[in-house]
Amino acid sequence: MNKKLISGVAGIIVAMLLGAVIMLVQGYHPVETYAALFNYSLGDFFSLATTLRNAVPLILTGLSASVAFASGPVNLGQPGQLVMGALLATIGGLYVDLPPVLMIPFLMLLAMAGGALWSGVAALMRQWFNMSEFITTLMLNMIADFFTYWAISYPFFDNTAYSPMTPQISQNGWLPKFGEFHSSVIVMLLAFAIVWFVFTHWTAGYEWRITGQNSLFARLGGCKIDKNYTAIMLTTGALAGLAGGLVVMGGPHRFLKGIGANYAWDGVMIAMVANNGIIATLLYGLFFATLQTGALGMELITNVPSEFIQVLQAAIVLVIVAGRGYLDIFMDKAAARRKTRERTA
Amino acid sequence: MNMFTGLINGMISGATPILLAALGGTLTYYAGIFNIAMEGMMLGGAFCGVLGSYYFQSWPLGILCAVLGALFMAGIFIVFSVFLKTDEFVTGIALNLFALGTTTYMLRQIFKVKGAFTGPGIQSVPPIHFPLLRDIPVLGSIFSGQNLIVYLALLSTILVWYLVFKTRFGLRLRAAGYNAACLDTSGVRTSQIRIWSLILCGLLCGLAGAYLSLGYVTLFSENMSAGRGWISLAAVILVNGNPWGIAIISLVFGFSDGLGLLLQQVLPSQFASMVPYVATLIALYFYSVQERKKKA
Repeated sequence: MNKKLISGVAGIIVAMLLGAVIMLVQGYHPVETYAALFNYSLGDFFSLATTLRNAVPLILTGLSASVAFASGPVNLGQPGQLVMGALLATIGGLYVDLPPVLMIPFLMLLAMAGGALWSGVAALMRQWFNMSEFITTLMLNMIADFFTYWAISYPFFDNTAYSPMTPQISQNGWLPKFGEFHSSVIVMLLAFAIVWFVFTHWTAGYEWRITGQNSLFARLGGCKIDKNYTAIMLTTGALAGLAGGLVVMGGPHRFLKGIGANYAWDGVMIAMVANNGIIATLLYGLFFATLQTGALGMELITNVPSEFIQVLQAAIVLVIVAGRGYLDIFMDKAAARRKTRERTA
Repeated sequence: MNMFTGLINGMISGATPILLAALGGTLTYYAGIFNIAMEGMMLGGAFCGVLGSYYFQSWPLGILCAVLGALFMAGIFIVFSVFLKTDEFVTGIALNLFALGTTTYMLRQIFKVKGAFTGPGIQSVPPIHFPLLRDIPVLGSIFSGQNLIVYLALLSTILVWYLVFKTRFGLRLRAAGYNAACLDTSGVRTSQIRIWSLILCGLLCGLAGAYLSLGYVTLFSENMSAGRGWISLAAVILVNGNPWGIAIISLVFGFSDGLGLLLQQVLPSQFASMVPYVATLIALYFYSVQERKKKA
């Protein structure tokens, strides 16, 4: 844990220094820019609440990717699963009306079903035809993108709108806000707690982790690899779908074009930089959300375009992942040297 | 007849970027690198192509810049995966997102636009007409008058095949993928071979990017590679890296691209746009069925 913390913090610092160099080259003031960035995302209660809310889709897709990668399946279909979840939740919200107590869980279940449906397609292709989920999920992303675009342009199009979008969902399905604090954060934390508990304390989670580390060992030990594979794909799809549902229910209350933004790919990056750790995913998710929320303030105050954050994020991922390997070697060497000194002394 | 040549030409223009990127991918495939960064290299190339063509007012310099841009991306891949030994999968994904972020950022920073940049100042790569070929009735409009990069792609297919299977470098390249330890012990540095394969991959992806932004259309839009890098990766896997196989598969994908355009008259355009991706899934299905038969 300690080692992870050091490599994480060191990586972030190095990447941010790299970012500062890029800013200097372009004639911006790095200190001012970073100050604006963090002030806008962490400065007061309102910004903090916004950051937490922006972290919701990032952390949920990040968890989806972390659980999948740590258990073996290379599920890269989070973008598609997210928009399919969002679409199903939207459709539910348009045609069903229940009291909020039932409506909100119902829509969440629909969103999870949407995501699981889409990852289930990839899981079926793997189980029946032995097609690698790595490519199929990527292709399904593009297909889901066009499919949802079609759905909001024709069958569920809001006739009063000028660009492709659905009408707003029933108000009973809107997630409540407590002042500035958004209740989607509670849902996300709940999902995180469940995933963490299942993954670290349940038999199923143990089997998944073992399968991810050594599938042959897991199979000889009596794990049902195929069944677990399907379960992992469905779970991770449901997590990504839930992210999409929460975005709809908590934000615009309708499906707009481009609602998936880059959440899911950011989630994949978060999983990678967290080395598929569940708690690390939460922490890096919060950090990435801080950067993204602050990006807007950075653009307002210092004129650095908010797209700069995308560059910075990728740099952080590369530097931390590369640094982690190096730091491990370095620290192992130091530990070995200390040991030999103790022995000889 | 006109529709026929239209479909064929659509097929060729759809196939070209995939073919070029897949040829790059096949070099790294033989070298034993799990390279999924073609998407990012292509996107970097496409952006730098527009940049070069716009500022220097010349398409050859545009192509040169496209290649340099893709080489820059390949350089990052080399630094992380070969020198720092970062996981290739992570490097590839991060590089693709880095390319997406950087090009979007630069689009905003240099051209001051969001979404797409187009303008009369961008010089596109011209088509090449062959004097005698042009006059053959139907075939003339297929074999002559294609974009310069289309012919370069064809040439690259032959060169890549020759390089991989007929030269000493090719032998070492395949050895690097087949048994890296063995190659190292016989006195050839595997990392050196891998670096060269990545450089060549960057070069080819740069051409693919230049075709996207200076040949196919004359503009740059955010994320304009739109999954073509992934499709080219699928193409490499489907034929186990054989250059001729890649050429055929690319034509199939190009055909599905052209078919999608044609289908737009009957289907909603969104469904038509799905065609290449569905085609990839179908191709993967046949591949896995065949693999299973081989095992049985």
